Amino acid sequence: MGQRTRHLLDKAFTLLAGTSVVVLSVVLLLVLGPMIWKGSSAVLFYGTLEFREMQRDLFDRADNESLLQETQDAEQYRADIYDRIESFKKAVAVDLAAMDEQAKEVYQTYSQELKDNNVTGAAYTQARRLARSLRNQFQDTLESKDRNAIQSAMDDILTHERDDAFQDTSFQSLFSMAREFRDTVAKIDLNQSHMYLEELAKVEAILADMLGPRPGDPVHPLIRLRYGATRWDQAQACLKRLNWITVWEEKPLGPADMEDPNQVRALVAVNYPRKERFAGTELEPLFGNVNAHIKDMLRPRLTFYWQYFIDESFNSHYFGGVGPEILGTLVITVLSILFVVPFGVIAAAYLVECAGDNWGVRIIRMCINTLAGVPSIVFGLFGVAFFIMFLLPALGMDSKACILAASLTLAVLTLPVMIRASEEAIRSVPRSYKEGSLALGASGFRTFMTVTLPAALPGILTGVILSLSRVAGETAPVLFTGAVSMGSIPKSVLDPTRTLSYGSYDMAVGDRVAMMVPHNQYGMVVTLVGLILCLNLVAVILRARVFKKLKGH
Amino acid sequence: MDNSTVNLRVKSGAVQYRPLALTPGQDLTGYVLSKLGKAILFLMTCSSVFAVLLIFFFVIRESLIFFRDQGLWASVSTNAWYPKSEDPRYGMLALLAGSVYVTLAALAFSVPLGVMAAVFLSDLVSFKVRAVVKPVIEILAAIPSVAYGFFAVMVMAPWMQDHWHFSTGTNALNAAIILSIMALPTIISVAEDSVSSLGRELREASYALGATRFETLFKVVIPAAHSGIIAAIILGMMRAIGETMVVWMASGNASQIPSPWWDLSQSVRTMTATIAGEMGETEHGSIHYGALFAVGVYLLVITLGLNLISEFFLARAKKALGKA
Repeated sequence: MGQRTRHLLDKAFTLLAGTSVVVLSVVLLLVLGPMIWKGSSAVLFYGTLEFREMQRDLFDRADNESLLQETQDAEQYRADIYDRIESFKKAVAVDLAAMDEQAKEVYQTYSQELKDNNVTGAAYTQARRLARSLRNQFQDTLESKDRNAIQSAMDDILTHERDDAFQDTSFQSLFSMAREFRDTVAKIDLNQSHMYLEELAKVEAILADMLGPRPGDPVHPLIRLRYGATRWDQAQACLKRLNWITVWEEKPLGPADMEDPNQVRALVAVNYPRKERFAGTELEPLFGNVNAHIKDMLRPRLTFYWQYFIDESFNSHYFGGVGPEILGTLVITVLSILFVVPFGVIAAAYLVECAGDNWGVRIIRMCINTLAGVPSIVFGLFGVAFFIMFLLPALGMDSKACILAASLTLAVLTLPVMIRASEEAIRSVPRSYKEGSLALGASGFRTFMTVTLPAALPGILTGVILSLSRVAGETAPVLFTGAVSMGSIPKSVLDPTRTLSYGSYDMAVGDRVAMMVPHNQYGMVVTLVGLILCLNLVAVILRARVFKKLKGH
Repeated sequence: MDNSTVNLRVKSGAVQYRPLALTPGQDLTGYVLSKLGKAILFLMTCSSVFAVLLIFFFVIRESLIFFRDQGLWASVSTNAWYPKSEDPRYGMLALLAGSVYVTLAALAFSVPLGVMAAVFLSDLVSFKVRAVVKPVIEILAAIPSVAYGFFAVMVMAPWMQDHWHFSTGTNALNAAIILSIMALPTIISVAEDSVSSLGRELREASYALGATRFETLFKVVIPAAHSGIIAAIILGMMRAIGETMVVWMASGNASQIPSPWWDLSQSVRTMTATIAGEMGETEHGSIHYGALFAVGVYLLVITLGLNLISEFFLARAKKALGKA
């Protein structure tokens, strides 16, 4: 191999190895970046008027007077939208059969009227004939779908409005019907009234998502349907849905080639403006109106929702925060650490101070390593088989998943972590400390308690914190031993609880509702990751201080 | 503490100092107490031994229902896993294959990357760069598995579907990529330990012979540290094979052996995911319940085996170091 090749290989290798570390950092950023970015929007976001109303109703926190004022202001703009929809709905929903019936009735009343007014002879016959022909013309026109034909027919009928025979008679109502019908037809295309109604229903549904139920609507039993878009991003998504109709169309991948029937085609989303569906109708300006006044109707305001971390949640996390989850995680974690610390520290102390290198100690060490290697889901199985099915009934308690079982399971899981960390901490105490104490005549036990342990305590504490972070993030062992996805806040350690870890799982693979609130999905997992990273940060700082102190001596 | 050889006794007028070494003759209660204390300490130290024994005992005990009914080998020789059908089948071959599949795929990503990073950290960079990179690895290790699973489902899966046009975003490749990220910290830290503990002499001898850094690392350092690196790989493997949440969420959970076998874009189902997914819906004491514990037993046996192998290699690495 030539010198140049060797040199090149050397450089290339350095570059490659450097790349591996860059890849690691990029991976970390890729994993954490989007999660934290999206998760932070659970706490810091533009909350709308609906959000403030929800907070007032569910959590009893709001400035009532200013909120009422805001609601009134917003109501003005909303009323305009609703009025427009109502009037359009009335216009579209022409009931041709009813009009037909009404025309018949009008004619009958009119002929009765003629009799009552003692109109007789030729005048009677003429008036009746004219009325009948007008009625027939009206009824025939009702069957037509042609806009122009209807308009000319109605104009035709309306030329007789001033006829002497119909002055001050009930037949005038036929004319008013004709006029109304003419105006309606001018506004909308009757051929499309069905389509209009369908589209209108969609528009109304989107508006309900955006603005919530209309004033006067009954209170919906589902809390999440009682409010409109509580967040500005949700409102904008609604607005987008209102403005555009998305259609999935088959389009060829790459440049189109009409000759080739086997060309791979893919479904592509194409947007059409919804406004065009209502072109020329009185509803068309509604879209512009909504777009122009959406801020006035929803009044978005930058909201720092710190109560996210203490709030109860509603409708599978559609509203509210992660309070019970945080509480459950803390309780399980702290309990399991309380169980494991005595065992971990004593085992570590024994292994460092008392044990030599005999077969007994070797077996213990092997068991610690084995325990560290057992898959976490097997700990879950063990928790079910031992703590729930065996230990709890043996102690006379209910054999069901509970906080106690979960924390005991996690305590077993974290035992090796705890032992190793404490062992390292105790081992790193300088020999001179111990020798000094022994030289002063203290016993081995006393030396350990008063010299070694205090010196090792920060190191042990680091281990405790790392165990805490490990336990807080574990999901598989608590799946069947104490975590639930829904339920009330536990009253004792014999109840199951919600936890952040299980909640994150549940939100990620969960139902349709969870998919509607991505900020809450990400919020949950970011709360968990944040909690764990904070614990790790504390551990790192603590370790750095211990390192400095021990080095200083 | 070996105090028996110390025979100093400080004598002074009024104060009676206690003897440094306890003998039953001088202080019977103290002697008994100290022995008793040591016994209690020993028992508490043995807690991990008890834990391991209890785990094996109870997991095996619950699985006996299944093994009595189905035998030991019948279940791992077929791959039809239909515990819920009218004629339930409990063939675990596909589950085992799924576990092995994602684990090996994960190692294919993480071993080159991890060994490279370990060598890079121990041999190629200054202390300052290490101080920056180490926390990155620690954070990667600290992120809980459910968060990785969340990432796999919410970010990776849609991305794969959009950009690679896979039929499903939750597939073996997705699970393998995430698992490799999770195995990396383990591999890097153990491998780096073994590479950096080799000492300067080997490297300096190689440099003195005119080898470049690349040659030194590849022909001297890595071969010399191979035991530690193998141990690192096995520990990473254990992390991957025992991982539950990520594979449950990301692998698609279709109980099948992909065909063709190299097609990573298909869904697979692992042993851990099966336990996690079905445990909640079984009845205590049923065959299905026992079958899930049986899967747990196989998992235990696999990890125990891997653990023993890794200990063997770690011991060998230590011994080799002692000789050097």
